[in-house]
Amino acid sequence: MARLYTVKVVVANKEGASDPEGETVYRDLVSKSGFSKVKSIRTGKFLKVSVEAPDASSAKRIVQRMCDELRIYNPAAHSITVEV
Amino acid sequence: MLSPVPRTGLSETEVETVRSLLGREPTETEWAVIDAEWAEHSSYKSSKALLRLFPTSGPRVVLGPGYDAGVVDVGDGYVVTLHIESHNHPSAVDPYGGAATGIGGVLRDIISVGSRPIALLDVLRFGNPEQSAHSRWLLRNVVRGIADYGNCVGVPTVAGDIEFDKSFEKNCLVDVACVGVGRKGSIVLGEAKRPGDMIVLIGGSTGRDGVGGAAFASKNLAKGPESERTSVQVPDPFMKKLLLDALLEVAATKLLHGMKDLGGGGLSTALSEIASKGDTGADVELAKVRVREPNMTPREIMISESQERMLLVLGPEGSDAIFKILDRYEVPHATIGWVTKTGSLKLRWNGTMIADLPAKVVAEAPLITWGTRKPRSAGAGRKPREDGDIQGSLLRLLSSPNISSRRWVYEQYDHEVGLRTVLKPGTADAALLRLPNGSMLAVKADGNSRHSSLDPRRGGAGCVAEASRNVVAVGAEPLAVVDHLQFGDPSDEEVYWTFTETVEGMSEYCRGLPLPVVGGKVSFYNEDASTKQAIKPSPVAMVVGLLPASTARVGMGFGARGESVFVIGMTRAELGGSEYYEEVLGAKAGAVPLPDAKMDSRVYRAVMGLVRANLATAVHDCSKGGLGVAVAEMCIRGGLGVVVDLCEIPGEALSPSDALFSESHGRFIVSTKSAKKVSAILARSGVAFAQLGRTGGSTVKFARGQKTLAAFGVDAAIDAWENPISRLMQ
Amino acid sequence: MSLESTTLPPTPSRLRCSSTRAKVAVVRFPGSNCDLDAVQALRTLDSVKADLVWHEEPTIGEYDAVVLPGGFSFGDYLRAGAIAARSPALERITAVADQGLPVLGICNGFQILIEAGLLPGALLRNASLRFVCRWVNVRVDNDSTSFTKNMKEGDVLHLPIAHNEGRFYASKEELATLNREGRVVFRYCDGDGHVSSSANPTGTLDNIAGISNKRGNVVGLMPHPERATEEVLSPFGDSDGSLIFKSMLGIE
Repeated sequence: MARLYTVKVVVANKEGASDPEGETVYRDLVSKSGFSKVKSIRTGKFLKVSVEAPDASSAKRIVQRMCDELRIYNPAAHSITVEV
Repeated sequence: MLSPVPRTGLSETEVETVRSLLGREPTETEWAVIDAEWAEHSSYKSSKALLRLFPTSGPRVVLGPGYDAGVVDVGDGYVVTLHIESHNHPSAVDPYGGAATGIGGVLRDIISVGSRPIALLDVLRFGNPEQSAHSRWLLRNVVRGIADYGNCVGVPTVAGDIEFDKSFEKNCLVDVACVGVGRKGSIVLGEAKRPGDMIVLIGGSTGRDGVGGAAFASKNLAKGPESERTSVQVPDPFMKKLLLDALLEVAATKLLHGMKDLGGGGLSTALSEIASKGDTGADVELAKVRVREPNMTPREIMISESQERMLLVLGPEGSDAIFKILDRYEVPHATIGWVTKTGSLKLRWNGTMIADLPAKVVAEAPLITWGTRKPRSAGAGRKPREDGDIQGSLLRLLSSPNISSRRWVYEQYDHEVGLRTVLKPGTADAALLRLPNGSMLAVKADGNSRHSSLDPRRGGAGCVAEASRNVVAVGAEPLAVVDHLQFGDPSDEEVYWTFTETVEGMSEYCRGLPLPVVGGKVSFYNEDASTKQAIKPSPVAMVVGLLPASTARVGMGFGARGESVFVIGMTRAELGGSEYYEEVLGAKAGAVPLPDAKMDSRVYRAVMGLVRANLATAVHDCSKGGLGVAVAEMCIRGGLGVVVDLCEIPGEALSPSDALFSESHGRFIVSTKSAKKVSAILARSGVAFAQLGRTGGSTVKFARGQKTLAAFGVDAAIDAWENPISRLMQ
Repeated sequence: MSLESTTLPPTPSRLRCSSTRAKVAVVRFPGSNCDLDAVQALRTLDSVKADLVWHEEPTIGEYDAVVLPGGFSFGDYLRAGAIAARSPALERITAVADQGLPVLGICNGFQILIEAGLLPGALLRNASLRFVCRWVNVRVDNDSTSFTKNMKEGDVLHLPIAHNEGRFYASKEELATLNREGRVVFRYCDGDGHVSSSANPTGTLDNIAGISNKRGNVVGLMPHPERATEEVLSPFGDSDGSLIFKSMLGIE
């Protein structure tokens, strides 16, 4: 029985790779504005995907394949998280 | 006793050489340092000997090859600096990041000699965009990477050269060049000359980016994402801008003794080179390096290629003032070591010595002489059959990817920032920039891989000829050239033969003009690992030229009706490698255009003279697509028609297609209101020339005596030429 | 204390020895890259003194006008102008704007003024999703602001644009207010002054290229007047950009 699932995809620079945008937002905005409890920030691109699938894990698989095949992200530079 | 061969890119011979030079087995860190510096990309071991053929001196040359940038005197105490780089392998994998960090790298070289970057150029080679979605993807992202980086740093990208050919499908080429300006007295070298000086690492933090990078550039592209994992570098143009502003202020204090940018091979190459050039040594504590990732080993720190880092060499007495400037711009810095008298590169890790290498041994990799063999396929094939449809061919050429408008590309580049760009992209054959003393600098970069593929000697010389021609077209006198040589695997005798031919051809042309080579780069191993298909030989040359302050700007568009159109220079039946043969007829045959430096020198003087005497209303050189395309382009840019009689073209026994499509070097089309004066001047100049026709009307017409060979509306020409690339990239 | 670049060209001699010289502050943020251009362009005008002022300076000082130049302050990270808008400099700038001093935001400067709340609306990514660098025609729709008082409504200026995020957006109500109060200062148009969609380079709402505050002393615009103050730099051979600066300083 197919249902409509919402799958969230976040594309970010690989862990360990630098993230100039996140670092600048943290260094020049957040830490200078008194939010001392905030320790680091990393940025990424967010996609909200609506997909028809029989179950949650199929939905996740479809979206993962979509990202891989259509180069929604570049595996040489980015890592992605896919969550239903 | 058998020692295990370490995991490096070094050959067995090199490994043995290292062991015998040191008299012992190197440590793991020492192997990593040598591997990084002896990689082809850093050491030039396969090319250095041949590069000595280039003429490198001249009355205006302040600094020639061997440093981070070439330096040329432009008068009044000012110098212009120039450099060219490539980032081919990273761009094939991550076109956006690879192209962006390529721009970052070439900017760093210009900054590291103490000059302000004032212009960028991009020279790109891709597979066929009409047929390959992959090549369109690469083009789109490479351009975006260059735009985002260059625009953010605030250096205008003012000119370039883009070529499309099937051979680049798997191996795109991304060359970026930069020109800077500075004061003669403020030039800083990449040397550590004074023992006791501090070595300071500034800029971005050190991570695992590009670990294996210089070796990566010197290897064929491996397949699969795993092996690419740590080989891409993340661009940060904001950090670069802060570095640029800070370093210009620092250089102006005159307290800096040396500066070196960290590029391929990271700290390994930078430290060994400054010590070797300074005839000194360095003692460095690697635990002082600011790292971004946990548990980095000293080996990783030494070969990391994290972006936006520079090495400064300064006396302790200057450190307060310099650090104050860096702090104001929030540029991080760490003093990592000292210059020593010993001639050794000594590396410590939390106090323990882990490497002790003679700097010169590291910096001077033994040269390799490869064998050469002329390929059987080099040279002319059978002459193709032509259908005689001159008009159709001309329109087809105007809309072909190598000739049609590049506006889609250059409108993404901020080409105006800095208030120096006097001739913008799309206006003339070269970009023209104002210098602080009022003089103007023309810049252009060119190459032709189709010519080079059929005849590497002529093709190599041809790059310099074409770039010089473009600079002369705006009236500037060529001052200096930097070259970029891109080939496949040097151990392949046929590839090395084309490399040798290219260098010999280029150097012969440079000697003949004369034009000094003040810098350059060599990039080998551009080939597809699986098919061993090498790229077409792709030498590229960037020429800079000087123009006095008072000269009027002259573009390439016809300006008014009733003006006389002249051709200057000889046309020959040289259709080899031409766009007509390759694009329209699909033929690899015919003689490749032969550059003649002595004749070109006379032609250049004549054209410069006409422009500077205000006698030329439009000037355009003949290159891709030949005279036919050149004249049509002048009509397109000016929105005005022309009538041209091919019988008048100086040349012997030319068929209509020879006359229109041959890409012979050393030719210009010039329009003028003063035909008599121009004829008189040219008659005295020892050059071939002829009056071809007149501007006017709205038709582009090529006739041969009474016979019309082609006649089409200027509108039709504009239609054909203006939109193909932007339509493809929709 | 102002920050001077050592490679700035020397002040042309005709600007010396004028006792009533107008003084302009050009505020520089980390990443501003059209700041030196703005200073240089202002210095081409007779009797004008222009200084670079670092954004962290405690006071703006005694100036007759303030310019926020173009560029990529803080790399355009997060949103163009978002981080610069939180700089303490904006408090100083807001204070002098309240006193009626002319404040001009060029390109990134316009983005910063919007993020800081001195001007309404938002500047979004160009519709083409690409950076656009080209010369355009811009029509003057309000000739009584501090920057257009030397001009006439309907005048067409030749100016260059160069930006990624220049698509002005405002809610229906905000737009109605701007129009009603005559606060749209510049619109993209064709060579004859007609405002048409083909003359709109970025998909900006109603071809809006620049707007003002209620009082007319704070104006933000996407085109770069500092790139159009010398004939040799303009493909049209004119210097329309200087008209904006001359209005700002009350010079003919």
